[in-house]
Amino acid sequence: MNLRLLGLGGAAALALFALQPAAGAAEPACGLDNGEKATGEPIVVGGINGNAPPGDFSGGTDAAAAYFKCVNDNGGIHGRPIEYIVENDQWNPELAAQVATKLVKDRGVVALVGNGSVVSMAVNAKLYKDENVMAMASACAISDCYENANIVSTNQGPLPSGIGALKFAIEELGTEHAACIGFNIPNNGGWACDWMGKYMESQGRKSTALLMDPAAVDLNSVYLQALAEGVDTILLMLPAGPALGILKVAEEQDGRDMFKWVSPTPLYDPTVPGALGDYWNDSLYVNIELAPFDSDGPDNRNWNAVMDAYGREDDRRDTFSQSGYVSAKFFVEALLEMDPGSIDRASVTEAIKSISGKTSDLLCGPYYVGDFDRHMPNHAGRMVVFRDGRFDVVRECYDIESSYLDPIREQERQLGLTQ
Amino acid sequence: MKIYGLFLISGLAVGSLYALGGIGLVVLRRATGVLNFAYGAIAAAAAMVCWQFGQWDFPGPAAWLSALVTGTALSLLYGMVVAPGLAWREPAVKAVATLGFALIILGVVSFLWDDAARKLVLPTDKMGVRLLGMKITVTRMIAFFGSIAILIGAVLYLDKTRTGLHMRALADNRDHSALIGIPVFRVETAAWALSGALAGFTGLMFGDLVRLDPTVITFTVIPAIAAAVCGRLNSLPLTFAGGLAIGVCEAMLTLVKPLAPLRSMTPFLLAALVILWMQRKETLTFAREG
Amino acid sequence: MVRMKPLRDGLPVLTLLLLCLTVVPAIAGAIWVKVFTSAAIFALAARGASVLYARLGLVNLAQVALVGVGGWTVLRLNYATSLPFEVLLLAGAGVTALIGMLLALPALRMRGLYLALVTLMAAGAFQILFTAFQFPNGGSGFWGVALQSPGEMRRPAIAAGDTAYLRYVICIAALGMLFAAWHERARPGRAWAMIRQSEANAMAAGVNVTVYKVWAFGLAGFLAGLAGGLLAGALNILDARSFAAGESILLFALCVVGGVYGWLGAVLAGILYRVVPALLNDWGLDSDLSLVLFGAALLHALMTAPRGIAGQLSGVLGSVGSAR
Repeated sequence: MNLRLLGLGGAAALALFALQPAAGAAEPACGLDNGEKATGEPIVVGGINGNAPPGDFSGGTDAAAAYFKCVNDNGGIHGRPIEYIVENDQWNPELAAQVATKLVKDRGVVALVGNGSVVSMAVNAKLYKDENVMAMASACAISDCYENANIVSTNQGPLPSGIGALKFAIEELGTEHAACIGFNIPNNGGWACDWMGKYMESQGRKSTALLMDPAAVDLNSVYLQALAEGVDTILLMLPAGPALGILKVAEEQDGRDMFKWVSPTPLYDPTVPGALGDYWNDSLYVNIELAPFDSDGPDNRNWNAVMDAYGREDDRRDTFSQSGYVSAKFFVEALLEMDPGSIDRASVTEAIKSISGKTSDLLCGPYYVGDFDRHMPNHAGRMVVFRDGRFDVVRECYDIESSYLDPIREQERQLGLTQ
Repeated sequence: MKIYGLFLISGLAVGSLYALGGIGLVVLRRATGVLNFAYGAIAAAAAMVCWQFGQWDFPGPAAWLSALVTGTALSLLYGMVVAPGLAWREPAVKAVATLGFALIILGVVSFLWDDAARKLVLPTDKMGVRLLGMKITVTRMIAFFGSIAILIGAVLYLDKTRTGLHMRALADNRDHSALIGIPVFRVETAAWALSGALAGFTGLMFGDLVRLDPTVITFTVIPAIAAAVCGRLNSLPLTFAGGLAIGVCEAMLTLVKPLAPLRSMTPFLLAALVILWMQRKETLTFAREG
Repeated sequence: MVRMKPLRDGLPVLTLLLLCLTVVPAIAGAIWVKVFTSAAIFALAARGASVLYARLGLVNLAQVALVGVGGWTVLRLNYATSLPFEVLLLAGAGVTALIGMLLALPALRMRGLYLALVTLMAAGAFQILFTAFQFPNGGSGFWGVALQSPGEMRRPAIAAGDTAYLRYVICIAALGMLFAAWHERARPGRAWAMIRQSEANAMAAGVNVTVYKVWAFGLAGFLAGLAGGLLAGALNILDARSFAAGESILLFALCVVGGVYGWLGAVLAGILYRVVPALLNDWGLDSDLSLVLFGAALLHALMTAPRGIAGQLSGVLGSVGSAR
């Protein structure tokens, strides 16, 4: 939220606030929920986010921090409070390695929760493995995050969310040929658009990957490229900023009705509607990885209550934040099942790996970890459409089909979550 | 064939943005000897201020003016406070020092406007004409014809006015200019202000036509420098032509499938080619200042 | 112009080196071991840029990009061969030296700002290449990138752990700096001094101007390549974000702030480049505000310390630092 200018820019801030559900009177419920302050020996938990230009991925750690505070006020882990240390890697690979070393080696964290750092995942996967520490991440966007034994992310990332958007586009919008516009980064746009292609092929349809440099000025040509390729659907496999750039070019060219417009989750952000404008009414479909921000489920309401009571004013309340709440909640539930006297890294890692079959109204499917070489518990989502300054759900929870998920389905069978 | 026309127009539109940045850099460089790496950061700050004024429901012209004022003010701040302290350093050091200013601006801007989705909208975005099947908005025309107007204006200013004459004298030889009584400080102030206003305008155009992201706008200074390099940091018309050529090549490369994802390299490769081409007839072995 | 004082120069160097090798790794926590490793690596890279600038007045705004080239080469060879680390390091340095020389070719007839921008254009191009192809992580094909967890970047047998690796990096950095110092004192240094005075006179005196200028770029590339290889060993995998064009400009600016006339300035540049941001981050300063602080300090140092911090220190202490 851009509330730092609140004193000056009340109008802007109010407009953004209006998008959020009114702060309910609901009391937050966390952990043992007994209202007693935890005073025992702290359990040290870490979290790494990336918050510096070019993006703020701190929603996950912010929500986890708020939830842990709430847990500490409500009995802690059988009397032991959680000491949550959050580090910012500032999108700098070396800093990412340094802060991870600090948390894992110097501070001896039992686990990492709420991680929202793209850079850190690529750089530190080996460290996590060597040190036998689990990362219950919340904000991931690259392949490294979903193909590691020691990292499990609550958010879906571009791959399932993008396929979800395409599935909707094929079934509801009649897509025959989709363009996947993404960043020219192998483990991000390259990875995701590659799998989009495989999915479209499996559905007997065509797709074209249009990749561009992250700093590209020339968004106009990307749009024209889609035009030249003769696609009927454009999938914006991009962060919100550049995706809005493409949408703006399309608006300029009056291209709304020339294509179907779909996107994975990044465009589902409280700040996006203000930037979109009425032009895109009923024409922009977004796949969302977790429940809508204003949905009525107990976990979504509790997420809001926790953020109201324990969050900071400038905490972001986006998908990453919901995702951080889910990670923190399941982490705490796993700890509560342990003997509080024998909580150390090895036992926590084991406890996290034995998480299975957890459910939440924020997620469409069950959450599980398991002892596997890759993790992607969340792969079913919803579809929303942009309409009159807000997003409306147009399709409730649905899962996707992709050969990428074959090993994941096998995991679910092994854990007895599916037949 | 039509598709080439489409990309040509698109390339000219993007190229005029590079040209705009390049011209602002060259104007300052000619008069003060400083290559301003903070040009992009100043542009970013200007674009954000304009957006903020829009959010506060100021009338459009006030918001646009705020961008120009922000650009001018930031540029003058550096020109008046920091630049004199570095006047005696080599050109390269003067240039890299501006990076410090760029970091300060980028830090302040990212602090004030936290990461969020934003869009800068100008009323001219809605108006436009169709050319070869592509709609050209008035904003793009402003960018294109604005840079031509600025080019002509700057050339005339340097040729016909007294301050322009002084700027050229300063560019040729600073010490001699001071000796013959040219008011160096006043001339430099004028150049900083002018370049700052140009940066404000550039920021407005980038924020509207590319995207409103301070980091992205800050670092567009590097491809803009490529346009300036095409003009040897000296010639405004060549800088303009260089910017357009970069834009057109970059857009056209979209049609060459294997190279399309790498087409952002165009500014750098084209600048390198221009340098080599300019040197083709030089038989002099010794280095000279560019 | 350049008069070295080997003894007075050597003693503090040796003391500092011993201090770095023994005390620092012993007392620093794991995070600071990593931070100092990075700082030592970039000090070495900075030395490459500062020699070029101090001796020939040539500005290299692509030094961090060259570090990336070195790192890429070492990672690529690491997965393609089973050569020991030292061989990889030298190969990476060699390849980077060649790229550095190539960079020098269009730049031979230029000096000053214009040349600086030619190198900046190269840095800009490398940034896009690195982003598009990333760094080898054990995959197949020429680019060696697979969508998988990175494989294992071998470290030298004697320095497998982080602390041992820090000592190793300090030793290599010291050797690299000695190599640069030797260049300054020996034949190339004399040739550079003449070229700097007047290219025409140097040529008249029989100095091959072209060769020695290219050679200087080769040296800068060599040191950058060493740094890149060491960085790959330190981090196991490299990421394109480390090698953006802006980073190269920043490193050069810090070289000037540290002081370009000796090893101490380069060491200071390395510290400013990696230790100071880590400190600010460790103190919990908002990352945006630390950017502001860093930029302001950079400007202040450039305005107030004409010979860099190293120059000021040597003014204060009389002898430490380098000679001019």
